[in-house]
Amino acid sequence: MFKKILIANRGEIAVRIIRACRELGIQSAAVFSDVDRKALHVRLADEAYPVGPAPSRESYLRIDKLMDVARRAGCDAVHPGYGFLAENSALPRACTDAGLTFIGPPADAMEALGSKTAGRQLARRADVPIVPGTNDPIEKISDAQALAHSMSYPVLLKAVAGGGGKGMRLVYSDAEFESAFRDASSEAMNAFGDDRLYLEKYLDRPHHIEIQIFADAHGRVVSLGERECSVQRRHQKVIEEAPSPIVTPDLRKKMSDAAVRLARAGGYVNAGTVEFLVDQNLNFYFLEVNTRLQVEHPVTEQVTGLDLVKLQIAIAAGHRLPFAWETITPRGHAMEVRLYAEDPDNNFFPSPGKILSYHAPSGPGIRLDDGVYEGWTVPNDYDPLLSKLIAWGNSREETIARLRRALDEYTITGIQTNAGLFRRILTEPDFLRGEIHTKWLDELLRRPRPSDSSSNDEAQGRFTCDAAAIAAAVWQAMQSVSQSAAASAGNETSSRWKLEGRRQQLDRIP
Amino acid sequence: MKLEVRISGRTRTVELQREAGGWRATIDGQSSAADVVEIAPNRLSVLLAGQSHEVCVTPSADGKLKLQTGTQEFSAEVPDPRTWSGRRHAGVEAEGRQQIVAPMPGKVVRLLVKAGDTVEAGQGLLVVEAMKMQNEIRSPKSGTVERVLASEGQAVNAGEVLCIVS
Repeated sequence: MFKKILIANRGEIAVRIIRACRELGIQSAAVFSDVDRKALHVRLADEAYPVGPAPSRESYLRIDKLMDVARRAGCDAVHPGYGFLAENSALPRACTDAGLTFIGPPADAMEALGSKTAGRQLARRADVPIVPGTNDPIEKISDAQALAHSMSYPVLLKAVAGGGGKGMRLVYSDAEFESAFRDASSEAMNAFGDDRLYLEKYLDRPHHIEIQIFADAHGRVVSLGERECSVQRRHQKVIEEAPSPIVTPDLRKKMSDAAVRLARAGGYVNAGTVEFLVDQNLNFYFLEVNTRLQVEHPVTEQVTGLDLVKLQIAIAAGHRLPFAWETITPRGHAMEVRLYAEDPDNNFFPSPGKILSYHAPSGPGIRLDDGVYEGWTVPNDYDPLLSKLIAWGNSREETIARLRRALDEYTITGIQTNAGLFRRILTEPDFLRGEIHTKWLDELLRRPRPSDSSSNDEAQGRFTCDAAAIAAAVWQAMQSVSQSAAASAGNETSSRWKLEGRRQQLDRIP
Repeated sequence: MKLEVRISGRTRTVELQREAGGWRATIDGQSSAADVVEIAPNRLSVLLAGQSHEVCVTPSADGKLKLQTGTQEFSAEVPDPRTWSGRRHAGVEAEGRQQIVAPMPGKVVRLLVKAGDTVEAGQGLLVVEAMKMQNEIRSPKSGTVERVLASEGQAVNAGEVLCIVS
C-alpha cells in the first residue's frame, strides 16, 4: 500500500480524499494556491505545499509544480480528484515518468474513452447503443444534411471538442441546417480552437442516467449500478440520486452489461462512469465516459455501503476487486444536492465572500461533504461548489423528506447559496413523481415563481413574515449601532455627542 | 426606536428596545412582543407568540435584505434612520441616471460599450468574470452611456460602480 498520496486538487473533493487516506493510515500531502492558504483541505491534510498564484493555470494545473511537490514530499501516488487535471492524460504520463502511481485509469484508456468521438467509435465496436448520428467529424455539409433528413428532424449539431453547450445547435428542418452548421462551427472555433462538428439525433425529454463502473488491473470489471442525474441547469447536474425512479431491474442489467463491455474494450482500470440518455420508451443510448471519480459518487456509496475513494486507492495499489457485480445489492435510496455560492434570485450570479456564520445540518440519514467553514472567505477564482448535501433513507419519499429537513438546517450568512432553489425543487410535483428530464429544470426556471402567500399554512406564513420583518429591523438597528461604534472608536470624547444626537434622532422617528 | 420595514408588499412598523443580551420587538403595535437574540453574525433567533424562528439575513448589492427562515424566503427594505431623508431624495434623483454596480467581486473581462453609446434596456454593457463564469451585466434602462469607470482586466468589488447610463 502507498505511504503518502499527493492530492492534486482543492475544496471538498480534496477533503474527501484526505479522509480516505486518514482511514487507511496513508499520509496526505495537499497543495494550495496563494488564496487557499486558509482552505479546509490545507487545515486537514498531514502536509501542505504552496503551488503558486490564484489562477489555476499557474497553480493547480501546473503538472511540473505538482511533480516537484510530490518528489520533495516523498509521495508515492497522486490522486487527481475531479476537474482540474483529472481527465488530462498528461498527468498520468508525468506520474509514470516520475515513478509515481496515478490513482485513476492508464493514460491510453483515458484517451480511448475520454474524447467524445473516440468514445462513440469504441461504443459502436463494443455493441453499445449510441444516439444515431455520425461517427466521425462532418466533412461535407450536404452529406450530413442528407443523413439528418433520413434520421428525421430534430437533430443536434455538436462540437467534437465540446462541452458546456458551446458549439451546439438544435436543428428542426432542412432549411435551417446550413446556417446552424456555420454558427455552431464558428462558436466551436472560438471556444475550443477546433471547428469540427458531429451530428446526433435529438432525443425528446430524455433522462440522464449513468453507470458507475470499477475495473481492477487483473481483468475484473464490475458495475455498481446507476445514478439518475436528470435535474440539470444548463447541462450542469444539480441533483443526483440512486436508484433511478425509472430504471427496472432488467434495464439496470442491460445498461450495466453495456458499460462493462465498453470499459473492457477500452482497457479501462479504476473508477469510471458511463453516461447514457434514456428515452421515454426506456431505450438507452451511450453519451460519454467520465474517466475519473464523479462529483456525485456519494449517492452510490450510500446505497452500496462501499467507499469508492478507498477502492480507487486499493485498485491503484494493484489489489483485486473484492466482489462480483451480483453480490452488490443496493439498499434504500440516496440523493445529493450541490450547494453553490451563487444567487438563484439574481441570475445565478456567483457569490464569493466571507462566510460570517454557518450551520451545517446533521442527524439521521444525512451526510455532508463539505469544503468550507465559518469565517473562511470563499475565493473568487474557482468553481463555486461549497458542499454536497446527501440524504439516505429507506424509500425515495423518506430520502426527500430528510433532504428537505436538512436543507432547512443548512444556513450560511455572509454569502448567497442556491439552497433555496433545492427547497423549491423538492416540493415540485413532477420531481416528487420522478417525472424529470434533462431540460426539466431549465423549463421550471422559465416559469414565474408562485408568490409567497401560496405557501402552506396561511396563519403560519403570517407569523413567519412577522418574524422576518422583526429580524430585518433588528439587523438594521444593530448595523447602525455598530457603525456608530466603529466611527467613534478613533475619537471617543467627541463622538459621545454624535451618539447622543443619533440616539435622539432615532427616538424621534415616527 | 421605531423602524419601518417594507416586506411582502406591505410597510410594517417595528418598535425595538435594547435589553440585556438582546432585543424586545413589537410589530404594528401588536400586544405580544418578540424576544430577539443574535446567534452569530447575520443570524437572529426570534421567539414570537411561542414560535421559534431562526432568520438568516443577507444584504444584497441593491441595498435590500434577503431573509431566510426554514423553507421561506423574503426580501425586505429597511431605510437606515440616520440617512432616511437623504435616501429619499437620492431615490428621486436617481430616476433618470443609473449607476451600474458590480453584483459580485470579480474581474472585468470585456467592455461592450463606450461613453456616448446609445443602449437599450437589457443590452449587455460589460462582462465580469467571477468563479470561472462570465456574467454579462445588462443595462436597466434605455439611454446613453454617460461614463464607463471600469477598464478591461480590472478587479472590482461588489457594489463598485462600473458605468453610468443616463
